[in-house]
Amino acid sequence: MADPAVMISKAEILKMLAELMKDATVFAPASNGKKLDYMPVRNVEDIVFGDDIPYKSPKEIFFPRTEKIITFKDGDAEAEISTEKYVLFGARPCDLEALDIMRKVFTEGRFKDPFFEERYNNTLIIGVGCVDKKPGCFCDERETDMGYSDKCDLFLGAQGAEDYFQALHLSEKGRETLGRYIDGLRTFQNTGHEFKPAHTLSIDATEEELFDKIDWESLVETCQGCGMCTYICPTCHCFGFKDVDEGGCASRYRNWDSCMFPKFTLHASGHNPREERHERYRQRFAHKYLYVKKNFGAVACTGCGRCVRACPAGVNIKAIAEKIGEDLQ
Amino acid sequence: MIYEEMTNNIRSVCEKLLNSNDVEVIVAYRGGGVEGMQIPYFAKTPEDVQNIEWGDRCYQNIAPYVHGLSKKVGILAKPCDARILTQYITEQQIKRDDVYIIGVDCVGMVDENGDPRPGCPDCMVRKPPIYDEYIKDDRVDSLDLSPPASEDGGLEANFERFRKEIDKCIMCYACRQACYGCYCKTCFIDRDLPDWQPAEIDAGTKMTFHMGRTMHLAGRCVECGACEASCESGVNVRYIIKEVTKFIEDEYGYSAGMDPEQVPALLVNKFDDREVGFLGGETHG
Repeated sequence: MADPAVMISKAEILKMLAELMKDATVFAPASNGKKLDYMPVRNVEDIVFGDDIPYKSPKEIFFPRTEKIITFKDGDAEAEISTEKYVLFGARPCDLEALDIMRKVFTEGRFKDPFFEERYNNTLIIGVGCVDKKPGCFCDERETDMGYSDKCDLFLGAQGAEDYFQALHLSEKGRETLGRYIDGLRTFQNTGHEFKPAHTLSIDATEEELFDKIDWESLVETCQGCGMCTYICPTCHCFGFKDVDEGGCASRYRNWDSCMFPKFTLHASGHNPREERHERYRQRFAHKYLYVKKNFGAVACTGCGRCVRACPAGVNIKAIAEKIGEDLQ
Repeated sequence: MIYEEMTNNIRSVCEKLLNSNDVEVIVAYRGGGVEGMQIPYFAKTPEDVQNIEWGDRCYQNIAPYVHGLSKKVGILAKPCDARILTQYITEQQIKRDDVYIIGVDCVGMVDENGDPRPGCPDCMVRKPPIYDEYIKDDRVDSLDLSPPASEDGGLEANFERFRKEIDKCIMCYACRQACYGCYCKTCFIDRDLPDWQPAEIDAGTKMTFHMGRTMHLAGRCVECGACEASCESGVNVRYIIKEVTKFIEDEYGYSAGMDPEQVPALLVNKFDDREVGFLGGETHG
C-alpha cells in the first residue's frame, strides 16, 4: 500500500498524466493563447507548471456554461447525464475549497443535482499548493491555506529540490492512482503543515442589517454590471433553463446566469425586485457571505482574488467586506 | 514625475469646481483595486479631491458613467473619454452644458503587468477634441500618429481568426458593459421576442452577439479599446470593429467623437446614398 506521504518527480507526474489521458479528459493549467486557464490538454507538454493561477476557476468542468440536460420526445423525458471520465490537475487550494462548497450546494441540499454529482464522482482531482500570494489574493483572510487543501484525491505540495513534489493521497481513488502509475515510491516524513489564518474576513450580521444599514449604492457606484466576476468566480453557481424545439423534440438547456445581469430576477409581470445594479451586487455579496453560510455552513468566498484582479471598474469584494464590517460597528 | 505634476493640476481644477458648486460629482480616478492600479472614482466633496490620481494606469473608460446621470457632473477626460462624450452629445444622450470636461492629453495606458492597453498603441487622437479645462502633456507632441496597418487578411483568414477569437469568449458580456456605445436599455441579445440567443451557447450564438454588436457600432466606435481591455478571456473582436470604422471613414468621411456639431453617419438619410454597405448595393470602384 502506498504511503500517504510520498515524493514524486515532475517527470513522474507527467508520465502519470500521459497515462491518465488515455481514457480520461485531463484538464490542467495551459495557455488559451493569451491567458492561463484550466484547459483540456492532449499533450502533457502543454501543461504550465509554476505559481501563476488560471484566470478563471475550474468549476465549468463540473458545471458547464451550457449543457443539454433533458430531451423530451413522444411523451418521454430523457436526462442526459455525462459519464465521461475527467482528471482535474493543478487546482489550487482556493479552487479546491470552493469546489467543496459547490459539491455541498449541488449534492447535499434539499435537491440533488445528478449532472454535477456524476461529473464530480467521475473526476480525479489533483491539487497543487501555491507558493506566493498573487496581487488581489486574500485566501489567508478567508481561512484558505494556500499551501494545502484536503478537498481532493491527490495533493502536491510545493515543488522541492530537483523537481520533486510532496504528494499526499487523500482518497482511495488517489491512493490507487499513485500505486498504479508510480513505481518505487519514495516516502517522506509528513510533519504536517502549519497554517495560521490571518484576521478572518467574515460578515457577522443579519440580512436585515445588510439591507438597511449599508449604503450599497455608493459602495459599488463604479460597477458596470458586466458580470465577469460571477463567470470567473469558483463558487458562483446560478443558472437558468431554456427549452427549445430541436428537430421534432424539445430539449432543455441549462446555462449559467449571473445576478449582475438586469434580467436575473425579472418577473414575467415585468416587476423586478432587484432593479438597480447595487441591489444586484448586494445579492451577490449576501449570497456568498450570508446565505451559503447559513444553508451549507461555509462562506462561499475562498479569497482566490479573481474578481478583484479582473474587475474593470476596480470593485474589490475584500475592501467591500471590510467596509461593511466597519459600517456595521 | 510628469504625472504627479498633472495630478496636482487636476486636483486644483477639481477642487475649484467642487467648491463652486457648479457640479455635484467629478468622475475621475484614484489608486486602488489591485496594487498599482488606478480605478474609477466619484469625487463628491472638496476633501475627496486629494484621492484623485492621474497616471499611466487610468486604464478604464469613465465617460460611460456620465450616461444616465441626472446631475451636473465634472469629468476627467482623456482623449478617448472626450470622444465618447462628444459622441454622446451628437447622439443626444447628454447635453454639452451638463458636463464640465477636464480634458487631459494621453500618451497611452498600461495594464497591471505594464503591457500597453489594447487600442493605445494604435491611437491617433492624443489630445481631447472637446474640453472646458485642458491639462497638457508635452510628450504627446512627439508621438507617431500614423494610421495602423489594416488587419484584413482576406475572407478565409479573417473568418479563421474570428473563429479563434470567439472560441475564447465565455459570453459574460463584459465587452458590452464596458463599451460606451452599448447603452441600449435592453440589448438585442437579451430580447425574448424575437429570441436572438439560441439555448446552446455555441459558436453561432457567439457570432450573433459579436457581429450584432459590431454592426450596432458602425461609425460609432471611438477605438478606446475597452471591449478588449475588459475581456478577462483575452478575446479581441476590436479588429473587426476597426475595419467597419475604417469603412465608414472612407465611405462617409465621418470619424466618431471628433466634432460635437457633426451628425453621425448612421443618422444621415441621403436619397443618393450608394448603400455600399448593403448586399446588392453599389460596390467600390
